[in-house]
Amino acid sequence: MKRKKDRLWPILGTVCLLCTTLLLFGFGWALKDAWAPSPGLALPSPTHSAPQSGGEWTSLPEIKAIAIGDSLTRGVGDVAGKGYVEDSLAQLSDSLGKPVRLNGNLAVSGLEAAGLDELLDGKAMQDAVAGADLVLLTIGGNDLFRASQQAGGSIAEGGGIDIELAKRRLPANEDKLKAVFAKLRSLNPNVRIAYVSLYNPFYELAPLRAPIASILADWNGSAAKLAEADGNMVVVPTVDLFQAQSARYLSSDHFHPNGAGYARIAVRVAQALN
Amino acid sequence: MRRDLELIRNETVKVWKKKRFAVIVLILLALVPVFVYAQMKIAQSSQGKYTDWRAELRQRIADNNNALTSDRIPEEWKKWRVALVQQLQYYLDRDVNPNTPNAVRFTNTFLQNAVGLFIPLMVLAVASDIVSSERAGGTIKMLLTRPVRRWRVLASKLVTLTMYVSLILVTTAAVSYLVSGLVFGYGGWREPVFVGFRLNGSDMDTSGVHAVTQGAYMLMQLGLVWFSAMTVAVIAFMVSVLVRSTAASLVTMMAAVISGSILANMASSWHSAKYLFNVNLDLSVYLQGSPPPIEGMTLGFSLVVLAVWAAAAIAVSFAVFTRQDILA
Repeated sequence: MKRKKDRLWPILGTVCLLCTTLLLFGFGWALKDAWAPSPGLALPSPTHSAPQSGGEWTSLPEIKAIAIGDSLTRGVGDVAGKGYVEDSLAQLSDSLGKPVRLNGNLAVSGLEAAGLDELLDGKAMQDAVAGADLVLLTIGGNDLFRASQQAGGSIAEGGGIDIELAKRRLPANEDKLKAVFAKLRSLNPNVRIAYVSLYNPFYELAPLRAPIASILADWNGSAAKLAEADGNMVVVPTVDLFQAQSARYLSSDHFHPNGAGYARIAVRVAQALN
Repeated sequence: MRRDLELIRNETVKVWKKKRFAVIVLILLALVPVFVYAQMKIAQSSQGKYTDWRAELRQRIADNNNALTSDRIPEEWKKWRVALVQQLQYYLDRDVNPNTPNAVRFTNTFLQNAVGLFIPLMVLAVASDIVSSERAGGTIKMLLTRPVRRWRVLASKLVTLTMYVSLILVTTAAVSYLVSGLVFGYGGWREPVFVGFRLNGSDMDTSGVHAVTQGAYMLMQLGLVWFSAMTVAVIAFMVSVLVRSTAASLVTMMAAVISGSILANMASSWHSAKYLFNVNLDLSVYLQGSPPPIEGMTLGFSLVVLAVWAAAAIAVSFAVFTRQDILA
């Protein structure tokens, strides 16, 4: 009994002392690192670049898709939060007979074309686009409607939308769209791009119907021209989907589609791609 | 000096005989596998979804950016998310995977989450009755009738407490490393982690960011955790001197520690709460570069607050213990 006790103390004492020393050393190191850091570990320079996608879709075992853009791609307004992206890719996968994998829905609500252009300068987005076979894209709604909305109005009632301002800004906004398309193409020469064009969320508001329709026709037309010039890009029309009985397909904010509205867009996107 | 060593030996062996440390090891052996299993499930579910960690990181950044566009989320959450997004972006830009599964990473994350509640509670298991149990058992009279000054007796108890706090922390890290290694593998000591992120209002200052190995990160984190655990231990020591019953001193300290973790979550607009010790316990936020619970708190500030509380607790303990009448 006595001998056992004798062995306990030397071992326990030494271990405890070692632990305390170790922790004190760690504490000191943390303080030094916080206030007088050494240069730090040398890292291998980021050599990774995403494998360039390419080739005909028929020769690929799997289609890698990404979705970028604004709230429409995010799925805002859909109670299930799905949007059109997943459904359209599932339908595309069925019709192609091969898997289509979503490699990320990188859309950000409220994004404008200039913001997307800026995001595309980041390495993360560049890798994502470079590694994709298909890009699903919505952009421009916020440029056309939000930006020309004067303070105070409710967007649901079309309140405060300054038609004159929107018209005046249209050429500049179309240039921004052109810049986004050009940047996507320079990041990946082979990727197929599907641009979901804009619909008129204010169709039921008689005073706004005609002027907004003419702005949208101009915008969607210019997108279509850019797509034709590119050759590997489709513009998916949605204007007609939200005209008759638009209330059935718009969500409660009277601006974004609801689940049923997104389902209709999804069908269109899948058809346009195959 | 010899006599002091004898006192410390006596105290250390006494705590060991009470099997407090054995209970702590058992708790760790029971709980750590639970956390490891949960972590394994998370890793498995994200592995099926993404081809590449970069795609997963991109998605996380986009998801957090979306949450930021909502007007309805509280300001503190926004700050926290902004910091997270900018950190993830930093990792992505330098092509460093911040989430490789390995035992060292698991241990670091475990310590990070344990510093606020789990570790203080384990420290309390020893600290809360180191003095009051002597009183409850009546052995304090035996102790004080020896020809030793009272303050020396108390000092030996304080030294013993320090040694056990260190032992508990190292054991926690070791158990976490050994158990999680069975699942995630024992590697990862030399993988890089970025430290030195500084929050400037809502923007992240990355000028001071540098990479350290995960091993170094663990050592630094353990050092910081040790400092906050020692503060809890010393305050519990004071309560143990002041309060006669072990149960009362344990409950008092648990209430203080738990209320600290609640306050840290809700008191971001009550600025003077930052002078409370229990809000400052989570020193690992400074290492990670995430926003502190209350604006204006820095590593230096928290260390000073904890040190002042600890020094006051030691002063009170000695003042009371050397003067108090021992009635039994």
